[in-house]
Amino acid sequence: MKPPILIIITSTIILGTMIVLFSSHWLMIWIGFEMNMLAIIPILMKKFNPRATEASTKYFLTQATASMLLMLGIIINLLHSGHWTISMIPNPIASTVITIALAMKLGLSPFHFWVPEVTQGVPLSSGMVLLTWQKIAPLSVLYQISPSINPNLLVAMAATSVLVGGWGGLNQTQLRKILAYSSITHMGWMAAIMVYNPTLMILNLTIYIMMTLGTFMLFMYNLSTTTLSLSHTWNKLPLIASLILALMLSLGGLPPLSGFIPKWMIIQELTKNDMIVMPMFMATTALLNLYFYMRLAYATALTMFPSANNTKMKWQFESMKKMIFLPPLIVASTMLLPLTPMLSIMD
Amino acid sequence: MLKIIFPTMMLVPLTWASKPNMIWINTTAYSLLISLVSLTYLNQLSDNSLNFSLLFFTDSLSAPLLVLTTWLLPLMLMASQFHLSKETLTRKKLYITMLVLLQLFLIMTFSAMELILFYILFEATLVPTLVIITRWGNQTERLNAGLYFLFYTLVGSLPLLVALLHTQNNLGSLNFLLMQYWTQPLPNSWSSMFLWLACMMAFMVKMPLYGLHLWLPKAHVEAPIAGSMVLAAVLLKLGGYGMMRITTLLGPLTNFMAYPFMMLSLWGMIMTSSICLRQTDLKSLIAYSSVSHMALVIVAVLIQTPWSYMGATALMIAHGLTSSLLFCLANSNYERIHSRTMILARGLQTLLPLMAAWWLLASLTNLSLPPTINLIGELFVVVATFSWSNITITLMGTNIIITALYSLYMLITTQRGKCTNHVKSIKPSFTRENALMALHLLPLLLLSLNPKMILGPIY
Repeated sequence: MKPPILIIITSTIILGTMIVLFSSHWLMIWIGFEMNMLAIIPILMKKFNPRATEASTKYFLTQATASMLLMLGIIINLLHSGHWTISMIPNPIASTVITIALAMKLGLSPFHFWVPEVTQGVPLSSGMVLLTWQKIAPLSVLYQISPSINPNLLVAMAATSVLVGGWGGLNQTQLRKILAYSSITHMGWMAAIMVYNPTLMILNLTIYIMMTLGTFMLFMYNLSTTTLSLSHTWNKLPLIASLILALMLSLGGLPPLSGFIPKWMIIQELTKNDMIVMPMFMATTALLNLYFYMRLAYATALTMFPSANNTKMKWQFESMKKMIFLPPLIVASTMLLPLTPMLSIMD
Repeated sequence: MLKIIFPTMMLVPLTWASKPNMIWINTTAYSLLISLVSLTYLNQLSDNSLNFSLLFFTDSLSAPLLVLTTWLLPLMLMASQFHLSKETLTRKKLYITMLVLLQLFLIMTFSAMELILFYILFEATLVPTLVIITRWGNQTERLNAGLYFLFYTLVGSLPLLVALLHTQNNLGSLNFLLMQYWTQPLPNSWSSMFLWLACMMAFMVKMPLYGLHLWLPKAHVEAPIAGSMVLAAVLLKLGGYGMMRITTLLGPLTNFMAYPFMMLSLWGMIMTSSICLRQTDLKSLIAYSSVSHMALVIVAVLIQTPWSYMGATALMIAHGLTSSLLFCLANSNYERIHSRTMILARGLQTLLPLMAAWWLLASLTNLSLPPTINLIGELFVVVATFSWSNITITLMGTNIIITALYSLYMLITTQRGKCTNHVKSIKPSFTRENALMALHLLPLLLLSLNPKMILGPIY
């Protein structure tokens, strides 16, 4: 894509999310969502194959439906409260409709069906933007209306998301689908804590974005989209192989890596509110997630897959990709656990 | 405490900056120095613990385990030299880094003052162990072994996290010093039963309890020698140590909640000892013997009498040294004939007489010969369970007999009799190997002179 066009489109995406984050008028928020959605379609269509077209169409349809539902919720809220300001939503119907619309935008179960297919159809860099930047806007709206969301709805969606994310990713070998199911699971964790402590949702989002950005960048370094091509990393860049191991363990939420921070804090907050079965259930189903991360880590770093002989010669070619932000991201995704008391800055 | 933690952390730059022919010497020497420093912690106050900071402390229960952990690192490094000699330099350094990282987490776990810190480090020890087993094990089964190890432990310990956080909300703090004054007796309800289960299951899986022990033969057998040593000697004791710490919270509920686990342990003790009699794989025999000894520790911790706690602590230290020694001996066999099958290397007493002496002493300590500390541990546990219920003496007696049977079976099969016909060349014992066995046995035998320091806080 020509640079001027790329600049315009990227700035529209960023502007759209910024409008959602900074406005207090419901209509402006809706406009921000629409700008964001329309501008990301060309990013999703970077490659002109039918797969990408199908993925962008699915994305557009689901997001447009969600925006329409959002508009419906906004109008019902206007009818019952008489103002356009975003704040608590006293009316339960409006609050439910808006929550469902935002869940559709996020890819929370049971509205998760678009996430794997869209993520799989687009190139790695577009998938990266899709799974990280696009989550910021809906979550910020949910943050602002969190006192009035129906807790039962949200907890039910969280529980099913964690289950779906864990189970769905078990049979995958395509890396983008694995990351899509991982995103569904993490959204589930964020939704679970939203009712009790929205600050922790922001913490989970931050750490999730860092880890997912790091993972995507490592995959882009290898230009690999399947487990098989990832397994050739040991020859090309052995350091990347060990970093993938660390990042996969962090995504799975194993201490002492920083992926454990959100899980720990969320379980603490949930137990403070006397929910015992829910965190136990979520923590145990997160182990399903850990299984397929471990499978990736095994394939990359801990074993050497059988490969043809010419893949063993790849060390001779130097990699030309520049990944400037990769080292800080990796450090942030794995070594932040001792800094957990600094959470207070999140408020 | 920092005077142990920082030098251990600094062992990592030491390995990466050493000259290629000095990595083993440097790390072994400095880790021996660190273990010398940790010996000062054995000087415990009789009625209190040594509190070093807000985060770390040692008392008479954790100090022997700490010394065992630091003592084991130089031994692990010595044992690994042979099978890593053919690897590239970076991989050797990575292996040592994994061992040192594991050591660091273990030291912090045994000296943690707060239960949440203990939990985080308990889980953190899983990661380097997993890498060691999966990356440097020798057979294809190691992949499965690593997964079993990781997932069995995690499924047990995630409810523990929830239970600990719930308890912290109720009590205010999980600091060990404060906990002993703030605990209230657990009421007799379903929810406190689930709390008890959630707290204990993680440690039961780690110990392991008989029904949940499936990960142990896999992990012990597939791990390289350093992995087997640290698994058998220290990681199993994490479970026992954790159980002893957490039973302070779990009030009078343990009296009847413990029954199913006592049954499983008492029966499992005999079952796993009997399985040892039918093993062909040497490492698998030692792994099942570990399950059997740890079942004794579970029984001791669950009946919660002063004598049983003393016996459990002594048994943990004794078994740590003995099991690690047996794995080193099995590894010396493996390095020569490249097979773990017992019958492929028989009659070694004529070929390697000094090694046969170590085999004899190892088997004798494994079957708890007086006056070793193994006997002290087992005897205290047997007497305590007899006072808890008279019938258990039959089970315990049967177990002691079967333990003696399989230990002697192992000794006789590998050492006595005619040498096998097909083995043409067995290298003579290296000084390194003899030093390794001696360094294992020396603490074991010297402790029988002064067992007071491993008898735990009740003494």
